[in-house]
Amino acid sequence: MKIKLTVNKKAHEVQIDPGEMLLDVLRRLGYKSVRRSCDSASCGNCTVLLEGKPILSCITFAASVDNCSIETVEGLSEKEELHPIQEAILETGGSQCGYCISGLTLTIKSFLAENPDPDDEEIKKALVGNLCRCTGYESQIKAVKLAAKKLRGEKR
Amino acid sequence: MLLNVKAYHKPRSIDEAFNIWSDHKDESVLIAGGTNVALMKSHIPKHLIDLKSLGLNDVKEKGNEIVVGAMIDIESFRKNQAIRKNFGDFFFKSFDDIASPQLRNMITIGGSIAAKVGWSDVTTCLLATESRLMTFGINGYQNINITEFNRLPRDKKPIITHIILSKEDFIYGFSRFTKSAFDISLVNVGIALKIESDIVKRSRFVIGSRPQLPDRFLDVEEGIENLKFDDNLPTIARNLVFEHFTGGSNYLASVEYRRHLASVLTERILTELGGV
Repeated sequence: MKIKLTVNKKAHEVQIDPGEMLLDVLRRLGYKSVRRSCDSASCGNCTVLLEGKPILSCITFAASVDNCSIETVEGLSEKEELHPIQEAILETGGSQCGYCISGLTLTIKSFLAENPDPDDEEIKKALVGNLCRCTGYESQIKAVKLAAKKLRGEKR
Repeated sequence: MLLNVKAYHKPRSIDEAFNIWSDHKDESVLIAGGTNVALMKSHIPKHLIDLKSLGLNDVKEKGNEIVVGAMIDIESFRKNQAIRKNFGDFFFKSFDDIASPQLRNMITIGGSIAAKVGWSDVTTCLLATESRLMTFGINGYQNINITEFNRLPRDKKPIITHIILSKEDFIYGFSRFTKSAFDISLVNVGIALKIESDIVKRSRFVIGSRPQLPDRFLDVEEGIENLKFDDNLPTIARNLVFEHFTGGSNYLASVEYRRHLASVLTERILTELGGV
């Protein structure tokens, strides 16, 4: 079957298997920032934004998102400039091996759009679905706070 | 990927959905949020029937009731203004602890009930509010309660189209115990109380993940009826839950552990509700 998808504002028409997952389709289209890891809805590495909300692409049937809008990390940076969230992750050491960062970045983007000035507890709750085996989360909490400041237009 | 799926159906009406389901009963699966189905890794389903295409995701206030489309996701439900206005922080806070933001954007209220899993925090909370279900099956639309739905055999299971919540003068509390923030509940407890002049006039005590399906504990409800809602009530209720708890053991916890957890969670909820 064929579906239409808009990924990072770019329209795609793609042939899919009816039982196929969105993760596989996005990677086939070249969006390799979308990571396969647990494949069982546990780690959050495959997180993408569906109509602005974070979802897990490893358990989303591709057929269910026909005519929907998807955002991946490839859509964040403009003209080779990093998005403020990406800058904040880099500056705080929030990324070490980097494997979980794509999913984490999109979760943070959606979270900060709803809560532009979060406290530590709110950040911990927001990141509960994004597992990171390197950082221990401390630097990522700092990254979210710094990203929030940057997005609010405040200096460090 | 589900390898043997031949067709992904997006019905435009509930009749169409039910007909497709009936035509391929042994080879088809209904998709609400899709999170359970996607993890099935099964070769059996050949037809996937996506109920999200039915547009059953709105929340409408109708007199003394709130009618909620079964395909609303948990996150939208808990943040809905009509739900917050009528139930305060009960659903807002209780559902905030379920899984992760990603999964809460995917899991639907109807799908959580239909899956009939013992650890469903959603089912426990809805039983505490005595919510009813509008279903569509072989006899057309029916208004049934969640316990009736849970008792239906799999081959007679209808499709849940709406959840009906009553606006009532109760106070609600919920608590759960998990091994990690992301894990399913080892035990969950939902409580509703109707208090008049400091006296408990009516109550509902629901305990889930026992590991059986969530159910009401009528002995506890009768035990606290007409008692004063004071400092002693949490302890009395805790002891009643301990005495009347029924459940089982599985790889997650023993029945003895669950009994203790349920009684302690009960005490904590009532303490919080009473501001004790």
